[in-house]
Amino acid sequence: MDKIVTIAINDLRVFLKDRSNIIFLTLVPLVMTFIIGYVNGGGFGGASSQLRVDLLDNDNSELSAQFIASLKEANSSLMLCPADNDENDGCNLGDNAGLTREQAEQRVRDGDTLALIEIPAGFGVAVESFQPVSLSYVSNEDFTAPGFIRQAVDAAALRVNGAIVAARVGTDVAGQIEGITLDAGGQADFTQQVYDRAAGIWAANPVSVAYELTAQQESSTGEINLQSGLAQSVPGMGSMFVMFTVFGGMTLLVIERKQWTLQRLVSLPVSRAQLIAGKILSRFLLGILQFAVVIAMGFLMGVNFGKDPLAFILIVLTYTLSITALSFALGTQLQNEEQASGLSLLLSLALAPLGGAWWPLDIVPEFMRTIGHISPVAWAMDGFNQLAFFQGGLGDVLLPVGVLLAMSVVFFAIAVSRFKYE
Amino acid sequence: MTNLVEVRGLVKTFKRRDGTEVRAVRGINLDIAQGEVFSLLGPNGAGKTTTISMISGLLSPTQGDATIGGFSITKQPMQAKKLLGVVPQEIALYPTLTARQNLDFFGKMAGLGGKELAKSVDEVLDFIDLKDRQNDRIDTFSGGMKRRVNIGVGLLHKPQLVYMDEPTVGIDPQSRRRILDTVVQLRDEYRMTVLYTTHLMEEAQELSNRVGIIDHGEIIALGTVGDLIQQIGEEDRLIFSVGEQDIDNGLLQQFEAIAGITKVTYQSRELNVAPGLEDSAELVIEKKSTGTMMAVRSGQVMDGEIVVYAKRGRKALPELLRLADDAGVNIFSVEVREPDLEAVFLHLTGRALRD
Repeated sequence: MDKIVTIAINDLRVFLKDRSNIIFLTLVPLVMTFIIGYVNGGGFGGASSQLRVDLLDNDNSELSAQFIASLKEANSSLMLCPADNDENDGCNLGDNAGLTREQAEQRVRDGDTLALIEIPAGFGVAVESFQPVSLSYVSNEDFTAPGFIRQAVDAAALRVNGAIVAARVGTDVAGQIEGITLDAGGQADFTQQVYDRAAGIWAANPVSVAYELTAQQESSTGEINLQSGLAQSVPGMGSMFVMFTVFGGMTLLVIERKQWTLQRLVSLPVSRAQLIAGKILSRFLLGILQFAVVIAMGFLMGVNFGKDPLAFILIVLTYTLSITALSFALGTQLQNEEQASGLSLLLSLALAPLGGAWWPLDIVPEFMRTIGHISPVAWAMDGFNQLAFFQGGLGDVLLPVGVLLAMSVVFFAIAVSRFKYE
Repeated sequence: MTNLVEVRGLVKTFKRRDGTEVRAVRGINLDIAQGEVFSLLGPNGAGKTTTISMISGLLSPTQGDATIGGFSITKQPMQAKKLLGVVPQEIALYPTLTARQNLDFFGKMAGLGGKELAKSVDEVLDFIDLKDRQNDRIDTFSGGMKRRVNIGVGLLHKPQLVYMDEPTVGIDPQSRRRILDTVVQLRDEYRMTVLYTTHLMEEAQELSNRVGIIDHGEIIALGTVGDLIQQIGEEDRLIFSVGEQDIDNGLLQQFEAIAGITKVTYQSRELNVAPGLEDSAELVIEKKSTGTMMAVRSGQVMDGEIVVYAKRGRKALPELLRLADDAGVNIFSVEVREPDLEAVFLHLTGRALRD
């Protein structure tokens, strides 16, 4: 064991003697993580902190106003355009103050708005007379926002419908009670009172569902998207830079073979397993150090990685181990530095996006998700996402941890059996 | 004297990419006695390094085995390696680490630790005379200094057998002298056994108690320098420089007919110039045989040499000169070479060692 640790410490010392390695270990991942997090979170204007939705009210009745109010109550992040447009042109309407149906549909298609809701003319009259009426809802079904918008529309419609139903039932019941006689005006007043009462009770939200992106993020703050992006990008970029750093081990073996330090080690009383284990340990520790740097930055920026640090650490350890073992399984077969650095770059840039380090695998087709799981990154990201987005614990990450551990064992066995210094 | 190293039937076969096999070492048997400097001499590609790589555990033999201090390199490699110090031809050091950091690391790998390691590193730094530079990075050292650290690493654990693979390649004469002195010092003062590989006959001749000559993966001669020269009959070589003259075969036959002469060869060199320059103007060169400047064209015969092998060659010299004069051949110079390892190799293989 002493010799394994000595080899690892020596390799770390050699690695850290090179200043460019230190920059690559710290500065580059920090900058990349922030940029990718910002992009994923819409920090460059892809999405504002409010959910922009076009709403065309062709009725302009008291009921349509109540519907719109219910909509805002259901989701306070909605910016209903053009009515809610502000001095900064948050609706992105430009000089176009009004909005036609065609223009609004085009804006949805162009991604300028997340959805279009159209209230038809005669909405109020139809609702009051219990005639069927349909709201128009147009969306591109983006992977995050429309879910919230549709839920808000459903909730608002339910409130209006519920209040109307309550008023109608109340009026009918009152009409059947002996001793209560209402003229036409009185009946209308009574119906309105029941409606108002029902709407008031709805407004108090007797039962509500809170929709959250992460446990701690408040949907009304401007940080929601950036935080969400960083919760994805920090472990994602961490995983990718671990590959860059650890796959450097492939080059290391080639360089050591070329400068004959590897052969010199073999000529000393050091076993093949000790030699490989020492080299793997050094790269593993560098990988952990790399992850720690990125995660520390995430913590400083307030990213929540979940409630179970032990599970998080376990994923980091098994993932880094699997990548380290993979690098040595491949590195033992390489002939020169060009092959090693080429393969290192290729693998890092293929396995990272394939495994969901650059973007969530939720947005890719099912078959790509399946293929992506040949990458250790995908299993690690599954685990990280369980912790960060679903508040999972140790039990929820056992599968990814187990798979990563199995990969490590297989790769390590290949590395030892195919290791050559000739 | 007891044998420290015993090599029996060592074979190494490499597979080419096309599936064919190359037999780099073809069944070597060898004993190296305790406390001797044994040189393995042979041209590049003869199989020296492959043989030694197997003995030092870098390569596994295809067949055969070797023991160091009684420990088999295939069955007890760890015990065998503890007795062995390797000084590879390459500078096998971490260039960004200091001399002391390199020595510390390899010392630990050799099984040293604590005060023993520190003492050993200090002793080696004294031995290689680099104590004042111990905290400087290797990549700031000269070639000779790097070589000395390279040797020092192999001596850290005071091995019984030190293997040095062409340690004087690519260094200046002063550093080379220092290394050769070191080898003698290791044997005479530290009682170490040294296994030395070289393609330089002079080094082998100077340092070795015994020499093994290797060619095409086989030991073709083995013994002391005197033994080997004895084996070829102690022939002198008389080298007649004849310039660009055409030499008739009849003259060579006349030479061969003289008593005591065993073999006569004629060799000539042609001027070769780089591709593309063949048709350029005549090149003016210094003519070796006369020391005069001459103009020659590519392909033109330059220095012709008649090499005569003879026992007590000096005695045949007047007769040889007379025959040449009778044949109208001008002899520009005559060189008489006493028998040496170069001659042994030439005699055994028909090639010069440096070819």
